[in-house]
Amino acid sequence: MRTLLHSPSPWLPAGITATAVYVVFVGLPVAALLIRAAQQESFFESLTSSLAMQALRLSLVTSVISMVVVVLLGTPFAHLLARSNSAILRAIDSIVELPIILPPVVAGVAMLMAFGRQGIIGPALSSVGVSIPFTTTAVIFAQVFVAAPFYIRAAKMGFQSVARDYEDISQTLGVSPWATFWRLTLPLAGPSIVGGLALAWARAIAEFGATIMFAGNLTGQTQTMPLAIMTALESDLGAALALSVLLLVGSLTVLVVLGLFTRRQWQGRL
Amino acid sequence: MTRGEIRCQVGDFTLESQWEVSPGQVLVLFGPSGSGKTTILRAIAGLVSPIEGHIEVGDQVVYDRDSQTWVPPHRRKVGYVTQQYHLFPHLSVSRNISYGIPRDNSKRKFRDDSDRIAHLLDAFHLEGLANRRTWELSDGQQQRVALARALATEPQVLLLDEPFSSLDTELRRILRREIRAVLSNANIPVILVTHDREDALAVGDAVQVIDQGRTLEYGEPLRILGQPGQGRLARLVGLENALAMRVESRHPQDGTMVCVGIDSSSSPGSSSPETSDHDTTFRLEVPLSDFDEGQAVTVGIRSSDIILAAEKLTSSSARNQIKGQVTMVELRPPGYEVTLECLGVPIRCHITGRSLSDMKIAEGTELWAVFKASSCFLVEDETG
Repeated sequence: MRTLLHSPSPWLPAGITATAVYVVFVGLPVAALLIRAAQQESFFESLTSSLAMQALRLSLVTSVISMVVVVLLGTPFAHLLARSNSAILRAIDSIVELPIILPPVVAGVAMLMAFGRQGIIGPALSSVGVSIPFTTTAVIFAQVFVAAPFYIRAAKMGFQSVARDYEDISQTLGVSPWATFWRLTLPLAGPSIVGGLALAWARAIAEFGATIMFAGNLTGQTQTMPLAIMTALESDLGAALALSVLLLVGSLTVLVVLGLFTRRQWQGRL
Repeated sequence: MTRGEIRCQVGDFTLESQWEVSPGQVLVLFGPSGSGKTTILRAIAGLVSPIEGHIEVGDQVVYDRDSQTWVPPHRRKVGYVTQQYHLFPHLSVSRNISYGIPRDNSKRKFRDDSDRIAHLLDAFHLEGLANRRTWELSDGQQQRVALARALATEPQVLLLDEPFSSLDTELRRILRREIRAVLSNANIPVILVTHDREDALAVGDAVQVIDQGRTLEYGEPLRILGQPGQGRLARLVGLENALAMRVESRHPQDGTMVCVGIDSSSSPGSSSPETSDHDTTFRLEVPLSDFDEGQAVTVGIRSSDIILAAEKLTSSSARNQIKGQVTMVELRPPGYEVTLECLGVPIRCHITGRSLSDMKIAEGTELWAVFKASSCFLVEDETG
């Protein structure tokens, strides 16, 4: 293997070809989107249209709330997964990533079966006046369901990268376990956690399948940006392009965040 | 003062230990890897729970099985330095050192803390490195930061787990000296774990030899590690020469006895270990003990107690002078180990690099190994 890697002749042309194909494959649609959007005379009007602004506002609000929920639930959960050897937790750990591989539409149907009017706990919720499906809350439910595993997985790996010996030393220095978590574990696991949060947020803001199944497509209430793009495509290509460019910029921002904030000088020195 | 008596169970491994260390005293826990030394430190620090026993740190009982006392690690006032130091990589040197100092916003406290950190930086020769990241430092500097950090909280006991293991020989020597000086000033009990005899001899006031979870020996370092009397202990300490011999004759008037190599045939009439060029018997004069003539004994000699001479010393008080041929020269910092084949018995001698070059010692060189009878000691049989 080493010999192959060090003698580039048979692989170099294949590598260059594959790279070129991949760059064109990914770059062409992105470039096409930007070119077509730039050709739209009403690009900025579409961007500031009522449909776009409502979808943008809803996506931002719901995704921020989702991330708060994900962080509040996911951080202690990930810490427990990283630090425990319990067989039960190991079993739970193996199903944490299920929502990542589950088709989003299936996730939406599953949530309907759980929280819908005819769902398992839907009637109980209705009896106390709570109805989740086809509300903004349902959008948040769908986002948390599909995005949380990205955060939990990254945070768990971050906590695992902090050897327990560091926490032990911190405690022998008179720092309580709780303070040790804030002053030592969290900063050291920080890059992984921020990376996981960025990925989770990107997944939440792009969520489509589970949302349309469980929350519907109600303008101003459950119509997030991906849903608004689909709706606009049927009537207003300009608006669809404007919203698409907005999401593209958001995605690129996530990439930049991942690149900037998930690297620390001391990484790899734990 | 710290003292304790514990029994710990980790899987199938059982550890039993007791200790008592006064302020200013350094107790060395000496033993091979896996013998339980580190577990004792972790039990004192509260990072391992014993199943039985009692631990005191300063005036505080931090663990007592009978009264169900268990003080958490952060309230035990211990300083703990691990083998890998575990410096916090996201903090600067000064923030590592100040990490354990309780936070207080008052100006006076802040000034006092700043003074203390400056004093520690100065004491550990870390001036000018306060704002550096710890991973930018050399091994020796990292070790100093770890020690300064542990002492910054003014602990009641300092626990050092193999603090010199990742340092080269020269740095080891320098830091041993520095640490000894700093520890004297700190005037707190220190427990140091090592498997290195030199560390133990250089830093320890007392040594406890631990093997397979049990205390094998306790006492003054030079007595325990200089002339290890037990077979198992001799092996743990790394005794270079352990010779299987037989008592040939006893000389109570001189306080010595003569032993011959177990496979050597005795030359009748000869009673002195000072061999002539034509002697065929490996013979040593050793301190007198209870062994009878004809009994088998193991004679130990430290390689550093043997002098190499180009010629037989005609006027010398040394009772043992044996001629041999160099079969091997190995680098053994801080010097060299020369193996001399003396009448079929390999004798290992430790000499400096300068002696090696001055005497032009190489494989095949003929030399005399010279050592006093009192440098020899009898190693007890393990089963005895």
